[in-house]
Amino acid sequence: MIEISGLTKTFGSGDSAFTALKDVNVTIAENEFFTLLGPSGCGKTTLLRSIAGFVDPTSGSLTINGDDILSKAPYDRPVNTVFQNYALFPHLTVAENIGFGLEMQDRPKAEVQSVVKEMLELVQMAPMADRMTSQISGGQQQRVALARALAPKPKVLLLDEPLSALDFKLRKEMQIELKRLQHETGITFVFVTHDQEEALTMSDRIAVMNGGRILQIGGPREIYDHPAERFVADFIGDTNFVSADLKSVEGDAAEVHLPSGQAIEARSVAGGPTSGAVTIAVRPEHATLTAPGALLDGTLKNIVYFGTDTHYHIETEARSTFVIRQQNQPDSAEDHKVGEPVGISFNPGVAQVLRD
Amino acid sequence: MAKSRAFDVRRQSGFVFIALSCFVLLYLPIILLVVYSFNAGTSIAVWEGFSWQWYVSAWQNEKVQDATILSLIIATCASLVATTAAVMAALATTRTTKFRGSGLVFAMINQPLMIPEIVTAVALLIFFAMIKVATGYTGLWYLIIAHSAFCIPFAYMPIRARLQGMDLNLEQAAADLYGRPWRVFRRVTLPQLWPGVLAGAMLAFVISLDDVVITEFVKSAGQDTLPTYMLGQLRRVITPEINAISTVLLAISVALVVAFYILSQSKKQ
Repeated sequence: MIEISGLTKTFGSGDSAFTALKDVNVTIAENEFFTLLGPSGCGKTTLLRSIAGFVDPTSGSLTINGDDILSKAPYDRPVNTVFQNYALFPHLTVAENIGFGLEMQDRPKAEVQSVVKEMLELVQMAPMADRMTSQISGGQQQRVALARALAPKPKVLLLDEPLSALDFKLRKEMQIELKRLQHETGITFVFVTHDQEEALTMSDRIAVMNGGRILQIGGPREIYDHPAERFVADFIGDTNFVSADLKSVEGDAAEVHLPSGQAIEARSVAGGPTSGAVTIAVRPEHATLTAPGALLDGTLKNIVYFGTDTHYHIETEARSTFVIRQQNQPDSAEDHKVGEPVGISFNPGVAQVLRD
Repeated sequence: MAKSRAFDVRRQSGFVFIALSCFVLLYLPIILLVVYSFNAGTSIAVWEGFSWQWYVSAWQNEKVQDATILSLIIATCASLVATTAAVMAALATTRTTKFRGSGLVFAMINQPLMIPEIVTAVALLIFFAMIKVATGYTGLWYLIIAHSAFCIPFAYMPIRARLQGMDLNLEQAAADLYGRPWRVFRRVTLPQLWPGVLAGAMLAFVISLDDVVITEFVKSAGQDTLPTYMLGQLRRVITPEINAISTVLLAISVALVVAFYILSQSKKQ
């Protein structure tokens, strides 16, 4: 549906030139909830604004359903945006805001009215129709912004960190609400966020960006369980990095030797290293605490009780910290002591070889 | 916010004296002017009792009436023209990507603030004289054009300030919702800009109403605005009628400036 290839954007020129997007290639499917995830300055918003038409890419192509849209002005593109600060028109009422897109398209009055009514109900704002936008709360403004962008029934809805201004509880509510709206409307959502949890809970697929590049595209589970690069592993969730020696690669499976001399099967990454010194990533909850003589040995340095789980901080023989997260059982007693020698174990295929 | 106590200007020696003398110098003459406009006698310096007579006499003076009407026509036309031009100039200098020479354009728009008024007046006198010779037209438009020109920067400043303070996202949101540029301007930009436009127009109106130098040079024979009429009167007999006219002008200006202040303070709804 949305095909982006070779998209590059450079701001400025000469010494002050800044490349916000570097050769971005991505295909977004119909009715997909697609998330652009990355830290601020990673290029995710620039990419979103390129789709909306507020940023003019330096090179590359961008098509929606086969139509080249780069040559079109924002008002000729079949996309609508939910802005980060909502950008509601302060001189118009809630209903007038929602009807704005249809009004600009010169749709008949009766149609505008019925769509506005439908949208007000969709986002549960019907009682507020005649309020000014300054007279409603942040969460309500967010709903109005959403309704305004959905009212013209765009092919693609672009959302620029729409939940970042909301408090925690409201954000959780809106996440569920957004998923529901996406299901009900069948519109493709392109969602920008720096919040990895938000990305994991809402997305069909996630593109992790950094430094103007897309580092990895995949479903939430794939991105979490099998991060391809150190940055991805580090940015999403918590990870233990372990240096290892890559012996061989066969398809997905890689044989690595840990510093302890033990061999274990890890998952290899496409386009990654095939031998030599590598870094592997292991999620804290994918490892278990055992007696010494395991895959890795070390000394227990710290035990942190979190209610749902307990974190064990282990200093390995290689002088780095390895964290293990174990779920707590009811009425279980802590049977480990700080300072005792322990072992770290994890199953074959759990560790991920990282691309450098 | 806590102010630094290290340097408080109010604690400097002589602060009260200097501040008071400044206010006295600024306001005492104006207060005297207003007071003597109610003088029953014909002197502007010797008090002979309270009377409205000079207001009545000014009101009934046909020359004052004509000059007032001319002033109002010119100020209205000039502020309309200047405000329109200022809106366009402000849009061009705030809503476009920075272009080579945009600083120069900014300076050129504000040229009337920097060039001595007498120079502009002489230049206009010569320029319009040439047109008069060529066309024979001696009407009001010379004055309206001249006033429009020097009023532009005064209208431009508040409009530009308002535009810069506006959320650019609003215009982008409107464009994103299929609004073509002209409709976005009418439906989103202009309603937001309105207080700035009104403030600019008022300021331009007051500036035009008040002008002497350029008007004196540009006006044709028999055309008198209120300020040039008053200047002419001063060369003959000075009566408190001048005080009365000045007081009314003062009242109008103060009212407009207060309105300007309120408008320019008004937040984005």
